[in-house]
Amino acid sequence: MIKLESVTKRYGSRTIIHDVSFSVSKGEIVGFLGPNGAGKTTTMRMIAGATTPTSGRVTVAGLDMATHNHDAAQRLGYLPEHPPLYDVLDVTTYLRFVAKVKGVQRHAMQSELDRVIAACRLEAVVTREIYKLSKGYRQRVGLAQALLGKPDVLLLDEPTAGLDPGQIQETREVIRTFGEHAAVLLSTHILPEVTLICQRVAIINGGRLLAIDSPVGLQQASEQTNNVLIEASAEAGSLREELLGVQGVTAVTVTALPNDLVRAECQVEAQSGIEARIARVVAVRWSLHRLERQQPTLENVFLRYVNQTSQQREAA
Amino acid sequence: MNGILAIYRKEMIQYFRSPIAYFVVSVFLLGTGYFFLYNVFSTGIGTMNETFRNMGLLLITLIPLVTMRLFSGEYTGRTMELLTTLPLKTWEIVLGKYLGALTILLVMTMATGINLIPLYLFGNPETKTILSGYIGFILMGMACLAIGQFFSSLTQNQIVAALITIPVLLAFWFVGHLQAYQNSPGLRELFGYLSFSLHFSDFIRGLLRSEAVAFYLAVVAVALTLNTSYLQWRR
Repeated sequence: MIKLESVTKRYGSRTIIHDVSFSVSKGEIVGFLGPNGAGKTTTMRMIAGATTPTSGRVTVAGLDMATHNHDAAQRLGYLPEHPPLYDVLDVTTYLRFVAKVKGVQRHAMQSELDRVIAACRLEAVVTREIYKLSKGYRQRVGLAQALLGKPDVLLLDEPTAGLDPGQIQETREVIRTFGEHAAVLLSTHILPEVTLICQRVAIINGGRLLAIDSPVGLQQASEQTNNVLIEASAEAGSLREELLGVQGVTAVTVTALPNDLVRAECQVEAQSGIEARIARVVAVRWSLHRLERQQPTLENVFLRYVNQTSQQREAA
Repeated sequence: MNGILAIYRKEMIQYFRSPIAYFVVSVFLLGTGYFFLYNVFSTGIGTMNETFRNMGLLLITLIPLVTMRLFSGEYTGRTMELLTTLPLKTWEIVLGKYLGALTILLVMTMATGINLIPLYLFGNPETKTILSGYIGFILMGMACLAIGQFFSSLTQNQIVAALITIPVLLAFWFVGHLQAYQNSPGLRELFGYLSFSLHFSDFIRGLLRSEAVAFYLAVVAVALTLNTSYLQWRR
Protein backbone atom coordinates (compact mmCIF):
# COMPACT_ATOMS: atom_id res chain seq x y z
CA MET A 1 0.00 0.00 0.00
CA ILE A 2 2.86 2.40 0.82
CA LYS A 3 6.13 1.85 -1.00
CA LEU A 4 9.27 3.96 -0.96
CA GLU A 5 12.05 3.05 -3.37
CA SER A 6 15.45 4.71 -2.91
CA VAL A 7 13.85 7.98 -1.89
CA THR A 8 16.17 10.95 -1.40
CA LYS A 9 15.22 14.50 -0.53
CA ARG A 10 17.58 17.45 -0.82
CA TYR A 11 17.03 21.11 0.06
CA GLY A 12 19.77 22.92 -1.84
CA SER A 13 23.01 21.17 -0.96
CA ARG A 14 21.57 19.65 2.23
CA THR A 15 20.40 16.06 2.00
CA ILE A 16 17.52 15.48 4.42
CA ILE A 17 16.58 11.92 3.39
CA HIS A 18 19.19 9.46 2.10
CA ASP A 19 18.09 6.61 -0.13
CA VAL A 20 15.22 5.37 2.04
CA SER A 21 13.28 2.25 0.97
CA PHE A 22 10.54 0.43 2.81
CA SER A 23 6.94 -0.61 2.39
CA VAL A 24 3.79 -0.93 4.48
CA SER A 25 1.16 -3.52 3.56
CA LYS A 26 -2.61 -3.43 3.97
CA GLY A 27 -3.67 -4.36 7.50
CA GLU A 28 -0.30 -3.41 8.91
CA ILE A 29 0.60 -0.66 11.38
CA VAL A 30 4.22 0.43 11.17
CA GLY A 31 5.75 2.63 13.84
CA PHE A 32 8.14 5.28 12.62
CA LEU A 33 10.76 6.07 15.25
CA GLY A 34 13.50 8.63 15.29
CA PRO A 35 14.77 11.58 17.30
CA ASN A 36 13.71 15.13 16.43
CA GLY A 37 15.07 16.18 13.03
CA ALA A 38 15.64 12.56 11.95
CA GLY A 39 13.54 12.96 8.80
CA LYS A 40 10.27 11.36 9.93
CA THR A 41 8.07 14.34 9.05
CA THR A 42 9.79 14.93 5.68
CA THR A 43 9.32 11.24 4.80
CA MET A 44 5.65 11.42 5.78
CA ARG A 45 5.17 14.64 3.81
CA MET A 46 6.64 12.95 0.73
CA ILE A 47 4.29 9.98 1.10
CA ALA A 48 1.34 12.37 1.58
CA GLY A 49 2.31 14.37 -1.50
CA ALA A 50 2.93 17.64 0.36
CA THR A 51 6.46 17.65 -1.04
CA THR A 52 8.14 15.67 -3.80
CA PRO A 53 11.30 13.56 -3.46
CA THR A 54 14.46 14.76 -5.24
CA SER A 55 14.98 11.22 -6.49
CA GLY A 56 13.40 7.83 -5.96
CA ARG A 57 9.80 6.75 -6.12
CA VAL A 58 6.88 6.89 -3.70
CA THR A 59 3.79 4.81 -4.46
CA VAL A 60 0.55 4.91 -2.48
CA ALA A 61 -2.08 2.25 -3.16
CA GLY A 62 -0.15 1.33 -6.30
CA LEU A 63 -0.23 4.92 -7.61
CA ASP A 64 2.98 6.81 -8.29
CA MET A 65 2.88 10.06 -6.27
CA ALA A 66 4.93 11.84 -8.96
CA THR A 67 2.29 11.29 -11.64
CA HIS A 68 -0.97 10.30 -9.89
CA ASN A 69 -0.88 12.22 -6.62
CA HIS A 70 -4.43 13.51 -7.14
CA ASP A 71 -5.84 9.97 -7.40
CA ALA A 72 -3.62 8.73 -4.59
CA ALA A 73 -4.81 11.58 -2.34
CA GLN A 74 -8.34 10.19 -2.52
CA ARG A 75 -7.12 7.01 -0.87
CA LEU A 76 -4.98 8.68 1.74
CA GLY A 77 -5.60 10.17 5.18
CA TYR A 78 -2.91 12.35 6.70
CA LEU A 79 -2.60 13.90 10.13
CA PRO A 80 0.44 16.20 10.12
CA GLU A 81 2.45 16.99 13.24
CA HIS A 82 0.39 20.16 13.77
CA PRO A 83 -3.28 19.41 13.06
CA PRO A 84 -4.27 21.50 10.02
CA LEU A 85 -7.40 23.24 11.35
CA TYR A 86 -9.32 26.36 10.37
CA ASP A 87 -9.87 28.11 13.66
CA VAL A 88 -12.94 30.13 12.65
CA LEU A 89 -14.84 27.09 11.40
CA ASP A 90 -16.87 24.89 13.72
CA VAL A 91 -15.97 21.21 13.93
CA THR A 92 -18.83 19.97 11.71
CA THR A 93 -18.25 22.60 9.02
CA TYR A 94 -14.55 21.76 8.97
CA LEU A 95 -15.15 18.01 8.69
CA ARG A 96 -17.83 18.55 6.05
CA PHE A 97 -15.35 20.61 4.00
CA VAL A 98 -12.71 17.86 4.13
CA ALA A 99 -15.28 15.14 3.39
CA LYS A 100 -16.57 17.06 0.39
CA VAL A 101 -13.08 17.48 -1.04
CA LYS A 102 -12.42 13.78 -0.43
CA GLY A 103 -15.43 13.00 -2.59
CA VAL A 104 -17.89 11.80 0.06
CA GLN A 105 -21.31 11.86 -1.63
CA ARG A 106 -24.08 14.07 -0.29
CA HIS A 107 -26.32 11.10 0.72
CA ALA A 108 -23.46 9.44 2.64
CA MET A 109 -22.16 12.67 4.19
CA GLN A 110 -24.01 12.61 7.51
CA SER A 111 -23.27 8.96 8.25
CA GLU A 112 -19.60 9.48 7.40
CA LEU A 113 -19.40 12.52 9.69
CA ASP A 114 -21.18 10.60 12.45
CA ARG A 115 -18.72 7.71 12.04
CA VAL A 116 -15.56 9.80 12.52
CA ILE A 117 -17.15 11.97 15.21
CA ALA A 118 -18.02 8.85 17.19
CA ALA A 119 -14.63 7.21 16.55
CA CYS A 120 -12.75 10.28 17.79
CA ARG A 121 -15.24 11.07 20.60
CA LEU A 122 -16.06 14.54 19.31
CA GLU A 123 -19.80 14.49 20.07
CA ALA A 124 -19.49 17.16 22.77
CA VAL A 125 -17.82 19.73 20.51
CA VAL A 126 -19.38 19.28 17.07
CA THR A 127 -20.92 22.77 17.02
CA ARG A 128 -18.01 24.53 18.69
CA GLU A 129 -15.57 26.76 16.77
CA ILE A 130 -12.15 25.13 16.51
CA TYR A 131 -10.29 28.03 18.14
CA LYS A 132 -12.25 27.34 21.35
CA LEU A 133 -11.09 23.71 21.58
CA SER A 134 -8.46 22.31 23.94
CA LYS A 135 -5.24 20.84 22.53
CA GLY A 136 -6.54 17.30 22.97
CA TYR A 137 -9.75 18.01 21.06
CA ARG A 138 -7.82 19.81 18.31
CA GLN A 139 -5.66 16.72 17.90
CA ARG A 140 -8.76 14.52 17.71
CA VAL A 141 -10.42 16.78 15.11
CA GLY A 142 -7.18 16.44 13.10
CA LEU A 143 -7.40 12.66 13.41
CA ALA A 144 -11.08 12.71 12.44
CA GLN A 145 -10.35 14.56 9.18
CA ALA A 146 -7.67 11.97 8.37
CA LEU A 147 -10.18 9.12 8.87
CA LEU A 148 -12.81 10.68 6.59
CA GLY A 149 -13.54 8.80 3.38
CA LYS A 150 -12.19 5.50 4.82
CA PRO A 151 -8.72 5.87 3.29
CA ASP A 152 -6.60 2.81 2.39
CA VAL A 153 -3.49 4.53 3.70
CA LEU A 154 -3.25 6.46 6.94
CA LEU A 155 -0.26 8.62 7.84
CA LEU A 156 -0.21 9.83 11.41
CA ASP A 157 2.51 12.16 12.63
CA GLU A 158 2.50 11.93 16.43
CA PRO A 159 -1.25 11.38 16.74
CA THR A 160 -1.29 11.10 20.54
CA ALA A 161 0.75 14.25 21.26
CA GLY A 162 -1.12 16.53 23.66
CA LEU A 163 -3.69 13.93 24.71
CA ASP A 164 -4.37 12.85 28.30
CA PRO A 165 -3.81 9.17 29.23
CA GLY A 166 -7.48 8.27 28.71
CA GLN A 167 -7.59 9.94 25.31
CA ILE A 168 -4.29 8.27 24.33
CA GLN A 169 -5.79 4.87 25.03
CA GLU A 170 -8.93 5.68 23.04
CA THR A 171 -6.91 7.03 20.12
CA ARG A 172 -4.71 3.93 20.07
CA GLU A 173 -7.85 1.81 19.92
CA VAL A 174 -9.14 3.87 16.96
CA ILE A 175 -5.83 3.42 15.14
CA ARG A 176 -5.71 -0.29 15.93
CA THR A 177 -9.25 -0.82 14.62
CA PHE A 178 -8.60 1.26 11.54
CA GLY A 179 -5.29 -0.51 10.94
CA GLU A 180 -7.07 -3.84 10.44
CA HIS A 181 -8.19 -2.71 6.99
CA ALA A 182 -5.63 -0.07 6.03
CA ALA A 183 -1.89 0.53 5.86
CA VAL A 184 -0.91 2.80 8.75
CA LEU A 185 2.39 4.59 9.19
CA LEU A 186 2.60 6.10 12.65
CA SER A 187 5.32 8.41 13.81
CA THR A 188 5.74 8.73 17.56
CA HIS A 189 8.16 9.43 20.38
CA ILE A 190 6.29 7.14 22.76
CA LEU A 191 8.04 3.79 22.51
CA PRO A 192 5.52 1.72 24.50
CA GLU A 193 2.90 2.91 21.98
CA VAL A 194 4.87 1.23 19.21
CA THR A 195 5.14 -2.03 21.14
CA LEU A 196 1.41 -1.91 21.86
CA ILE A 197 -0.05 -1.25 18.42
CA CYS A 198 2.58 -1.67 15.72
CA GLN A 199 3.40 -4.87 13.88
CA ARG A 200 6.71 -3.43 12.64
CA VAL A 201 9.02 -0.60 13.60
CA ALA A 202 11.14 1.55 11.29
CA ILE A 203 14.01 3.42 12.93
CA ILE A 204 15.31 6.50 11.16
CA ASN A 205 18.10 8.90 12.09
CA GLY A 206 20.00 11.52 10.14
CA GLY A 207 17.67 10.86 7.18
CA ARG A 208 18.76 7.21 6.94
CA LEU A 209 16.61 4.18 7.61
CA LEU A 210 18.56 2.18 10.19
CA ALA A 211 16.31 -0.80 10.77
CA ILE A 212 12.84 -2.09 10.06
CA ASP A 213 11.49 -5.16 11.81
CA SER A 214 8.92 -6.27 14.36
CA PRO A 215 9.53 -4.93 17.90
CA VAL A 216 10.38 -8.47 19.03
CA GLY A 217 12.66 -8.99 16.03
CA LEU A 218 14.58 -5.82 16.83
CA GLN A 219 14.96 -6.88 20.44
CA GLN A 220 16.13 -10.36 19.46
CA ALA A 221 18.58 -8.98 16.92
CA SER A 222 20.36 -7.15 19.67
CA GLU A 223 20.29 -9.99 22.18
CA GLN A 224 24.04 -10.56 21.89
CA THR A 225 24.40 -7.37 23.87
CA ASN A 226 22.28 -8.84 26.69
CA ASN A 227 23.53 -8.61 30.19
CA VAL A 228 23.13 -10.95 33.13
CA LEU A 229 23.35 -9.15 36.43
CA ILE A 230 24.28 -10.98 39.60
CA GLU A 231 24.88 -9.97 43.22
CA ALA A 232 26.67 -12.31 45.57
CA SER A 233 28.68 -12.32 48.84
CA ALA A 234 31.99 -12.98 47.17
CA GLU A 235 35.49 -11.71 46.63
CA ALA A 236 35.52 -9.54 43.51
CA GLY A 237 38.59 -10.97 41.75
CA SER A 238 37.68 -14.63 42.23
CA LEU A 239 34.07 -14.04 41.19
CA ARG A 240 35.21 -12.36 38.00
CA GLU A 241 37.55 -15.27 37.16
CA GLU A 242 34.87 -17.87 37.82
CA LEU A 243 32.33 -16.00 35.68
CA LEU A 244 34.71 -15.58 32.76
CA GLY A 245 35.15 -19.35 32.84
CA VAL A 246 31.45 -19.93 32.17
CA GLN A 247 30.71 -20.83 28.55
CA GLY A 248 28.92 -17.95 26.78
CA VAL A 249 30.14 -15.17 29.10
CA THR A 250 32.20 -12.72 27.06
CA ALA A 251 32.99 -9.96 29.56
CA VAL A 252 32.46 -9.23 33.24
CA THR A 253 32.42 -5.91 35.11
CA VAL A 254 32.56 -6.18 38.89
CA THR A 255 31.60 -3.50 41.41
CA ALA A 256 31.80 -3.68 45.19
CA LEU A 257 28.58 -3.03 47.14
CA PRO A 258 28.08 -2.42 50.89
CA ASN A 259 27.76 -5.40 53.29
CA ASP A 260 30.50 -7.41 51.50
CA LEU A 261 28.32 -7.78 48.44
CA VAL A 262 29.68 -7.71 44.90
CA ARG A 263 27.74 -6.89 41.75
CA ALA A 264 28.88 -8.45 38.49
CA GLU A 265 27.52 -7.46 35.10
CA CYS A 266 28.16 -10.26 32.63
CA GLN A 267 27.93 -9.68 28.90
CA VAL A 268 26.63 -12.91 27.47
CA GLU A 269 26.03 -14.44 24.07
CA ALA A 270 22.48 -15.11 22.89
CA GLN A 271 21.79 -18.63 24.14
CA SER A 272 19.34 -20.18 26.49
CA GLY A 273 20.25 -21.64 29.85
CA ILE A 274 23.18 -19.37 30.50
CA GLU A 275 21.58 -17.95 33.65
CA ALA A 276 21.39 -21.47 35.11
CA ARG A 277 25.08 -22.15 34.39
CA ILE A 278 26.11 -18.85 36.00
CA ALA A 279 23.90 -19.57 39.04
CA ARG A 280 25.43 -23.04 39.47
CA VAL A 281 29.01 -21.72 39.31
CA VAL A 282 28.36 -18.93 41.80
CA ALA A 283 26.22 -20.94 44.22
CA VAL A 284 28.92 -23.62 44.61
CA ARG A 285 31.32 -21.19 46.33
CA TRP A 286 29.28 -18.18 47.47
CA SER A 287 25.85 -17.10 48.53
CA LEU A 288 23.88 -15.77 45.51
CA HIS A 289 21.57 -12.83 46.34
CA ARG A 290 20.30 -11.77 42.94
CA LEU A 291 20.38 -12.98 39.34
CA GLU A 292 18.62 -11.13 36.56
CA ARG A 293 18.72 -11.32 32.80
CA GLN A 294 18.43 -7.84 31.39
CA GLN A 295 16.36 -8.02 28.18
CA PRO A 296 16.94 -5.08 25.84
CA THR A 297 13.86 -2.87 25.80
CA LEU A 298 12.74 -1.26 22.54
CA GLU A 299 14.02 1.97 24.05
CA ASN A 300 17.51 0.45 24.45
CA VAL A 301 17.42 -0.90 20.91
CA PHE A 302 16.30 2.49 19.58
CA LEU A 303 18.96 4.37 21.53
CA ARG A 304 21.66 1.94 20.41
CA TYR A 305 20.79 2.49 16.73
CA VAL A 306 20.54 6.24 17.14
CA ASN A 307 23.77 6.53 19.14
CA GLN A 308 25.63 4.31 16.66
CA THR A 309 24.72 6.54 13.72
CA SER A 310 25.51 9.70 15.69
CA GLN A 311 28.96 8.31 16.51
CA GLN A 312 29.53 7.24 12.91
CA ARG A 313 28.58 10.72 11.70
CA GLU A 314 30.90 12.37 14.20
CA ALA A 315 33.75 10.05 13.17
CA ALA A 316 33.12 10.84 9.50
CA MET B 1 -15.50 21.22 -9.84
CA ASN B 2 -16.36 19.76 -6.44
CA GLY B 3 -12.99 20.91 -5.16
CA ILE B 4 -13.47 24.50 -6.37
CA LEU B 5 -16.92 24.64 -4.79
CA ALA B 6 -15.68 23.23 -1.48
CA ILE B 7 -12.81 25.74 -1.34
CA TYR B 8 -15.18 28.56 -2.36
CA ARG B 9 -17.65 27.70 0.41
CA LYS B 10 -14.87 27.46 2.99
CA GLU B 11 -13.53 30.85 1.89
CA MET B 12 -16.94 32.48 2.18
CA ILE B 13 -17.44 31.10 5.69
CA GLN B 14 -13.97 32.29 6.66
CA TYR B 15 -14.65 35.80 5.27
CA PHE B 16 -17.92 36.21 7.11
CA ARG B 17 -16.84 34.59 10.38
CA SER B 18 -13.95 37.03 10.73
CA PRO B 19 -14.31 40.83 10.88
CA ILE B 20 -12.31 41.45 7.69
CA ALA B 21 -15.19 41.26 5.16
CA TYR B 22 -17.46 43.46 7.28
CA PHE B 23 -14.64 45.96 7.82
CA VAL B 24 -13.67 46.17 4.13
CA VAL B 25 -17.26 46.45 2.89
CA SER B 26 -18.11 49.08 5.55
CA VAL B 27 -15.05 51.24 4.88
CA PHE B 28 -15.64 50.99 1.14
CA LEU B 29 -19.29 51.98 1.50
CA LEU B 30 -18.49 54.89 3.81
CA GLY B 31 -15.74 56.10 1.49
CA THR B 32 -17.88 55.71 -1.62
CA GLY B 33 -20.81 57.43 0.10
CA TYR B 34 -18.61 60.37 1.05
CA PHE B 35 -17.18 60.73 -2.46
CA PHE B 36 -20.64 60.41 -4.02
CA LEU B 37 -22.11 63.11 -1.76
CA TYR B 38 -19.16 65.38 -2.40
CA ASN B 39 -19.13 64.87 -6.16
CA VAL B 40 -22.87 65.01 -6.80
CA PHE B 41 -24.32 67.37 -4.19
CA SER B 42 -21.41 69.81 -3.99
CA THR B 43 -20.98 70.17 -7.73
CA GLY B 44 -24.61 69.59 -8.65
CA ILE B 45 -23.63 67.32 -11.56
CA GLY B 46 -25.71 64.15 -11.68
CA THR B 47 -23.15 61.61 -12.89
CA MET B 48 -21.12 58.81 -11.33
CA ASN B 49 -17.97 59.62 -13.35
CA GLU B 50 -15.90 61.24 -10.61
CA THR B 51 -17.27 58.84 -7.98
CA PHE B 52 -16.13 55.87 -10.08
CA ARG B 53 -12.63 57.33 -10.25
CA ASN B 54 -12.55 57.71 -6.45
CA MET B 55 -13.99 54.22 -6.04
CA GLY B 56 -11.13 52.85 -8.17
CA LEU B 57 -8.46 54.34 -5.95
CA LEU B 58 -10.30 53.33 -2.78
CA LEU B 59 -10.58 49.80 -4.13
CA ILE B 60 -6.83 49.61 -4.75
CA THR B 61 -6.12 50.46 -1.11
CA LEU B 62 -8.71 48.00 0.25
CA ILE B 63 -8.11 44.99 -2.02
CA PRO B 64 -4.89 43.98 -0.17
CA LEU B 65 -6.99 43.57 3.00
CA VAL B 66 -9.19 41.06 1.17
CA THR B 67 -6.35 39.13 -0.46
CA MET B 68 -3.56 39.24 2.13
CA ARG B 69 -4.75 36.21 4.11
CA LEU B 70 -5.64 34.03 1.13
CA PHE B 71 -2.43 32.00 1.13
CA SER B 72 -0.39 33.64 3.90
CA GLY B 73 -3.13 32.61 6.32
CA GLU B 74 -2.94 29.02 5.06
CA TYR B 75 0.82 28.97 5.59
CA THR B 76 0.73 30.37 9.13
CA GLY B 77 -2.26 28.22 10.11
CA ARG B 78 -0.39 25.19 8.67
CA THR B 79 -3.52 24.36 6.68
CA MET B 80 -1.68 24.53 3.36
CA GLU B 81 -0.42 21.05 4.31
CA LEU B 82 -4.04 19.90 4.32
CA LEU B 83 -4.91 21.52 0.99
CA THR B 84 -1.85 20.09 -0.76
CA THR B 85 -2.52 16.56 0.51
CA LEU B 86 -6.25 16.50 -0.19
CA PRO B 87 -7.45 15.39 -3.64
CA LEU B 88 -7.35 18.95 -4.96
CA LYS B 89 -5.52 20.20 -8.02
CA THR B 90 -3.48 23.35 -7.41
CA TRP B 91 -5.54 25.35 -9.90
CA GLU B 92 -8.71 24.31 -8.07
CA ILE B 93 -7.33 25.80 -4.84
CA VAL B 94 -6.31 28.99 -6.65
CA LEU B 95 -9.62 29.35 -8.48
CA GLY B 96 -11.78 28.51 -5.44
CA LYS B 97 -10.02 31.18 -3.41
CA TYR B 98 -10.19 33.67 -6.25
CA LEU B 99 -13.94 33.17 -6.66
CA GLY B 100 -14.39 33.73 -2.92
CA ALA B 101 -12.52 37.04 -3.09
CA LEU B 102 -14.45 37.96 -6.23
CA THR B 103 -17.70 37.49 -4.33
CA ILE B 104 -16.54 40.04 -1.74
CA LEU B 105 -15.75 42.43 -4.60
CA LEU B 106 -19.24 41.90 -6.04
CA VAL B 107 -20.83 42.49 -2.61
CA MET B 108 -18.82 45.73 -2.34
CA THR B 109 -19.90 46.76 -5.84
CA MET B 110 -23.57 45.96 -5.35
CA ALA B 111 -23.63 47.80 -2.03
CA THR B 112 -22.65 51.02 -3.81
CA GLY B 113 -25.91 50.70 -5.79
CA ILE B 114 -27.54 52.60 -2.92
CA ASN B 115 -25.95 55.77 -4.33
CA LEU B 116 -27.92 55.32 -7.52
CA ILE B 117 -31.28 55.84 -5.76
CA PRO B 118 -30.87 59.63 -5.18
CA LEU B 119 -29.12 59.90 -8.52
CA TYR B 120 -32.15 58.54 -10.37
CA LEU B 121 -34.63 60.34 -8.06
CA PHE B 122 -33.15 63.80 -8.44
CA GLY B 123 -31.07 63.62 -11.61
CA ASN B 124 -31.10 62.24 -15.10
CA PRO B 125 -28.07 59.94 -15.30
CA GLU B 126 -27.04 57.93 -18.35
CA THR B 127 -27.73 54.28 -17.49
CA LYS B 128 -25.38 52.95 -20.18
CA THR B 129 -22.46 54.99 -18.85
CA ILE B 130 -23.15 53.85 -15.30
CA LEU B 131 -23.32 50.21 -16.38
CA SER B 132 -20.10 50.57 -18.34
CA GLY B 133 -18.44 52.17 -15.27
CA TYR B 134 -19.53 49.28 -13.08
CA ILE B 135 -18.23 46.73 -15.62
CA GLY B 136 -14.89 48.54 -15.69
CA PHE B 137 -14.82 48.71 -11.90
CA ILE B 138 -15.45 44.97 -11.56
CA LEU B 139 -12.87 44.11 -14.24
CA MET B 140 -10.24 46.30 -12.57
CA GLY B 141 -11.15 44.79 -9.19
CA MET B 142 -10.70 41.30 -10.66
CA ALA B 143 -7.21 42.22 -11.85
CA CYS B 144 -6.33 43.71 -8.43
CA LEU B 145 -7.61 40.59 -6.63
CA ALA B 146 -5.55 38.26 -8.81
CA ILE B 147 -2.39 40.32 -8.19
CA GLY B 148 -3.07 40.46 -4.42
CA GLN B 149 -3.74 36.72 -4.30
CA PHE B 150 -0.46 35.99 -6.09
CA PHE B 151 1.53 38.12 -3.63
CA SER B 152 -0.22 36.43 -0.73
CA SER B 153 1.16 33.09 -1.94
CA LEU B 154 4.74 34.41 -1.79
CA THR B 155 4.93 35.08 1.94
CA GLN B 156 3.80 33.64 5.25
CA ASN B 157 3.25 37.12 6.66
CA GLN B 158 -0.14 38.68 5.86
CA ILE B 159 1.09 42.21 6.56
CA VAL B 160 4.03 41.74 4.19
CA ALA B 161 1.63 40.39 1.55
CA ALA B 162 -0.51 43.54 1.89
CA LEU B 163 2.54 45.81 1.94
CA ILE B 164 3.81 44.33 -1.33
CA THR B 165 0.38 44.41 -3.01
CA ILE B 166 -0.43 48.08 -2.26
CA PRO B 167 2.58 49.66 -4.07
CA VAL B 168 2.25 47.25 -7.00
CA LEU B 169 -1.42 48.15 -7.46
CA LEU B 170 -0.67 51.85 -7.02
CA ALA B 171 2.06 51.51 -9.65
CA PHE B 172 -0.47 49.99 -12.07
CA TRP B 173 -2.87 52.85 -11.27
CA PHE B 174 -0.37 55.68 -11.69
CA VAL B 175 1.89 54.24 -14.41
CA GLY B 176 -0.08 56.18 -17.05
CA HIS B 177 1.26 59.46 -15.60
CA LEU B 178 4.75 58.48 -16.77
CA GLN B 179 3.59 58.95 -20.36
CA ALA B 180 4.08 62.70 -19.96
CA TYR B 181 7.78 62.23 -19.18
CA GLN B 182 8.58 59.94 -22.12
CA ASN B 183 9.77 60.90 -25.57
CA SER B 184 9.80 57.36 -26.88
CA PRO B 185 6.40 56.54 -28.44
CA GLY B 186 6.93 52.85 -27.62
CA LEU B 187 7.33 53.51 -23.90
CA ARG B 188 4.45 56.00 -23.92
CA GLU B 189 2.24 53.34 -25.46
CA LEU B 190 3.45 50.71 -23.00
CA PHE B 191 2.77 52.93 -19.96
CA GLY B 192 -0.65 53.74 -21.33
CA TYR B 193 -1.38 50.09 -21.98
CA LEU B 194 -0.34 49.04 -18.48
CA SER B 195 -2.32 51.78 -16.75
CA PHE B 196 -5.30 50.57 -14.75
CA SER B 197 -6.65 54.11 -14.48
CA LEU B 198 -6.49 54.91 -18.21
CA HIS B 199 -8.37 51.73 -19.15
CA PHE B 200 -10.82 52.41 -16.34
CA SER B 201 -11.36 55.98 -17.64
CA ASP B 202 -12.62 54.53 -20.91
CA PHE B 203 -15.26 52.52 -19.06
CA ILE B 204 -16.23 55.56 -16.97
CA ARG B 205 -16.79 57.54 -20.16
CA GLY B 206 -19.08 54.78 -21.38
CA LEU B 207 -16.60 53.14 -23.76
CA LEU B 208 -16.64 49.35 -23.56
CA ARG B 209 -13.39 48.68 -25.42
CA SER B 210 -12.50 45.07 -26.06
CA GLU B 211 -8.81 45.96 -25.68
CA ALA B 212 -9.43 47.17 -22.11
CA VAL B 213 -11.54 44.10 -21.27
CA ALA B 214 -8.82 41.85 -22.70
CA PHE B 215 -6.15 43.74 -20.73
CA TYR B 216 -7.82 43.24 -17.35
CA LEU B 217 -8.64 39.59 -18.12
CA ALA B 218 -5.05 39.02 -19.27
CA VAL B 219 -3.76 40.43 -15.95
CA VAL B 220 -6.10 38.04 -14.11
CA ALA B 221 -4.91 35.09 -16.21
CA VAL B 222 -1.22 35.90 -15.81
CA ALA B 223 -1.47 36.49 -12.03
CA LEU B 224 -3.49 33.30 -11.42
CA THR B 225 -1.13 31.26 -13.62
CA LEU B 226 1.87 32.62 -11.72
CA ASN B 227 0.02 31.84 -8.49
CA THR B 228 -0.60 28.22 -9.54
CA SER B 229 2.92 27.71 -10.89
CA TYR B 230 4.50 29.10 -7.73
CA LEU B 231 2.44 26.79 -5.51
CA GLN B 232 3.38 23.79 -7.66
CA TRP B 233 7.05 24.77 -7.59
CA ARG B 234 6.85 25.17 -3.81
CA ARG B 235 6.11 21.42 -3.46
